[in-house]
Amino acid sequence: MSEAAEATEGYAEAPPIALEAGLAMVALLVAALVGYGWALGFHLDNAHNGLIAASFAAVGLYVVRMRPRHREGWLLVAVGVVSAVMFFGRQYGRVAGPLPGASWIGWIGVWPLPLAIALFGWAFMAFPHGRMLSLRWRRAGVTMVAVAALMATMSALWPVDHDRIGLVSSHPFDLPGAAVVGRLWPYLLPNYTLFQVLWTAAVVVRLRRARGDEARQMRWVVYATVMAMVVLVTGLVVFGSSVPGLLAVPLIPVAAGIAILKYRLYDIDPVINKTLVIGFLVLVVTVGYVGIVVGVGALIPVGSGWLSLLTTAVVAVAFEPLRRRAQRLADRLVYGHRATPYEALSQLSAQLDEAPEDLLDGIAATIANAIGATEVVVWVGEETHLLPQAGWPRRPDPPESSGLGELDRGPHRHVRPVVHHGTVLGAITLRKPVGEALTPGEARLLGDLLAQTGLVIAQQQQAQELQAAARRIVTAQDAARRRIERDLHDGAQQRLVTMGLELGSLEEQAKATGAPELAARVRAVRSQLLEATAELRELARGLHPMVLTQSGLEPALRMLADRSAIPSRLTVALAGRLPPEVETTAYYVVSEALTNAARHSGAGVVTVEIVKVAAGLQVQVSDDGCGGARQGVGSGLQGLQDRLAAVGATLSLDSPVGGGTRIRTVLPCV
Amino acid sequence: MRVIVADDAVLFREGMARILTEVGFEVTRQARSGAELVRQVRRDPPDVVITDLRMPPGFADEGIEAAAEIRSFAPDVGLMLLSQYVEVHHALRLMEEFDGAVGYLLKDRVSVLSAFAADVRRVAAGHVVIDQELVSRLISRRRERDPLAELSDRERQVLALMAQGLTNAGLAEELFVSPKTVEGYIRNVFTKLGLHAGEREHRRVLAVLQFLRQQ
Repeated sequence: MSEAAEATEGYAEAPPIALEAGLAMVALLVAALVGYGWALGFHLDNAHNGLIAASFAAVGLYVVRMRPRHREGWLLVAVGVVSAVMFFGRQYGRVAGPLPGASWIGWIGVWPLPLAIALFGWAFMAFPHGRMLSLRWRRAGVTMVAVAALMATMSALWPVDHDRIGLVSSHPFDLPGAAVVGRLWPYLLPNYTLFQVLWTAAVVVRLRRARGDEARQMRWVVYATVMAMVVLVTGLVVFGSSVPGLLAVPLIPVAAGIAILKYRLYDIDPVINKTLVIGFLVLVVTVGYVGIVVGVGALIPVGSGWLSLLTTAVVAVAFEPLRRRAQRLADRLVYGHRATPYEALSQLSAQLDEAPEDLLDGIAATIANAIGATEVVVWVGEETHLLPQAGWPRRPDPPESSGLGELDRGPHRHVRPVVHHGTVLGAITLRKPVGEALTPGEARLLGDLLAQTGLVIAQQQQAQELQAAARRIVTAQDAARRRIERDLHDGAQQRLVTMGLELGSLEEQAKATGAPELAARVRAVRSQLLEATAELRELARGLHPMVLTQSGLEPALRMLADRSAIPSRLTVALAGRLPPEVETTAYYVVSEALTNAARHSGAGVVTVEIVKVAAGLQVQVSDDGCGGARQGVGSGLQGLQDRLAAVGATLSLDSPVGGGTRIRTVLPCV
Repeated sequence: MRVIVADDAVLFREGMARILTEVGFEVTRQARSGAELVRQVRRDPPDVVITDLRMPPGFADEGIEAAAEIRSFAPDVGLMLLSQYVEVHHALRLMEEFDGAVGYLLKDRVSVLSAFAADVRRVAAGHVVIDQELVSRLISRRRERDPLAELSDRERQVLALMAQGLTNAGLAEELFVSPKTVEGYIRNVFTKLGLHAGEREHRRVLAVLQFLRQQ
């Protein structure tokens, strides 16, 4: 089972009762420990344990209730439970006039600390799926836990960490070697710092590697952690109190819970962006204000009223440019840096391999990425009449056509004509964020990209002209064939049947006048004439099947199927007539495919399926013959391909040796 | 027997009118298009109409459209359609929409004058005539599991003639056998092919044509 599948796995309905009961027991235990702990008094230096216990347990239990197999959820629960035990132990152990068993219960509140820290670190490193990044990271994590276990054991056996907590009872054990261990202990404490470095490194590495959903999940927790730290530092610096930081601790598990369960619903990026901007501004304004009030006030003896006025003016003037810079910085941090010229050009050439119809969209995106534009529109056409052909972002309501001179130049808009061999082939309009000018470097890059755009538009126009020419040729050819068929029908064929009629009359007369020899000769001539008309009829039918224009595709295909040299199964799912060139092309595709099948495949049956799909008319002919058909010059398929290309369709051929042949195409029609 | 002839080609039309007169028909009028034919039949209904299928203005299936209109107001007029091509879907339409007294032949058939005259008379008498080329094309169609392989040569011949619209008496005459023998053949054919057909002759033609097309 993959991580993602595991992470999203939940119950369709209610969780099983056993799990519900288990989770409820854990919840009750944590609630009892924390609740009773609080009731025993307030100690600021232990309050964080209570908060961690309550918040991590609550979020963790909620996560595992929703996603019972989610390892991260269980890790959060574990952190919560351990913290709850420690919290309670410390609260209990501090009540004066020792409560019963205070020595042991207090002891339980002390020694698990290294383990709790390691567990917290593990949960952090394994976020968001509960798995380490790699085996190496896992080994580092295991080492961390082993060191923590060693420290916990020492702390459990000797009172190395006992006195710091302020418990009223003493350590329950009195083992020899306390002095040695006590001297050794301070050398172990830096391990906590190492743990922090380790898990910070793990989060940074994961953040850099993460893509998509995982990256979004990571940002939630990193944001919450950073915010909690900012609140802690601000609280310590400004208010000299750790209470604000303490209260911010639950942010972390809550963010983790949101990231695990709701990461597709809410996006943290805009929040981070705005926080960065506002934070920077608050900092700068505060520093500036303090600087001016303190600095200027010390130098020039003016009234405090004037000083405030001056400060406000300076701040007002400096605010907008500062905000812009802060915004740009924040954009760069949150949304990534803009493409360098080299990246932009290599991105463009990578896109040149893509489908030609999407090329201009790709160019628009590349320009937006490279120049940092908020909107890019690619216009194609003549100087006086330009049509919006592509854009980034794609707009549901594309702008109207316009001449080059009338394109919206606006304050933050830039208009550049696309010129190829001295002719205007189009234009590019782009909009920069408010207050951002086009730098000389960006202007140069835009020039390069414009030249590429010119090439692409010219090439697309050539391709379009080529296809239009091919379509004209095919249409003209079809028209010529129809005309010849009509001429034959009204001319030669009509004359021949009239001659047959006369010969018939002649034969009757010869019989009636008693000239049987003459009658026999007339009959012989007449039968030759009938053969000639039959041949001419088949010729005319081959030129253009009248039934196709007369009655439509289905009767025409049935006629083909009736004449097929291989048994055929024909399925036509059509309502009504289609455009003539579509019907004609479909007819020739089937005709050619049936002929090919009869000639080369040795098939027992050939299946023809005609069905209307969203993209157009799908024509599929498959046989159960020997396969191995090849596309290429000289094959009948080449002619079909050319014909299909003229109407903007492609032929797909699937013909494994021994596996039958299947040709398929979708003829575009509206 | 009174006949109206319709065809946009004047030579053919005139020629046909002349030879029909020679073999004893009375050609009352001639028409150049479907619309003109309908008008003439309204004015003076004949016993039978002989019309080209593809005529002005659209050169599509104006003949059939005109025939359908004539049938709606003059159900006793026999309808003989001629064409340079004979198409199965047209034949099926004629059998489905027209209650007998209808024929569908290649134009070439007019050159065998006696046979053509006989076919026209059969249509006028309410029978059905389907071109033999169309029938033989359907019978010789390549099939995956050919049910016709079950039939003997004689039964196959009977099937083809039935599809062309021959009555039991016509079949007996054509095959030089007694009507009783013909009935036996027909029973065999229908049993072997699993066909069911109504009493009416054109229903039988329709059933056979549909069978041949579908199998």
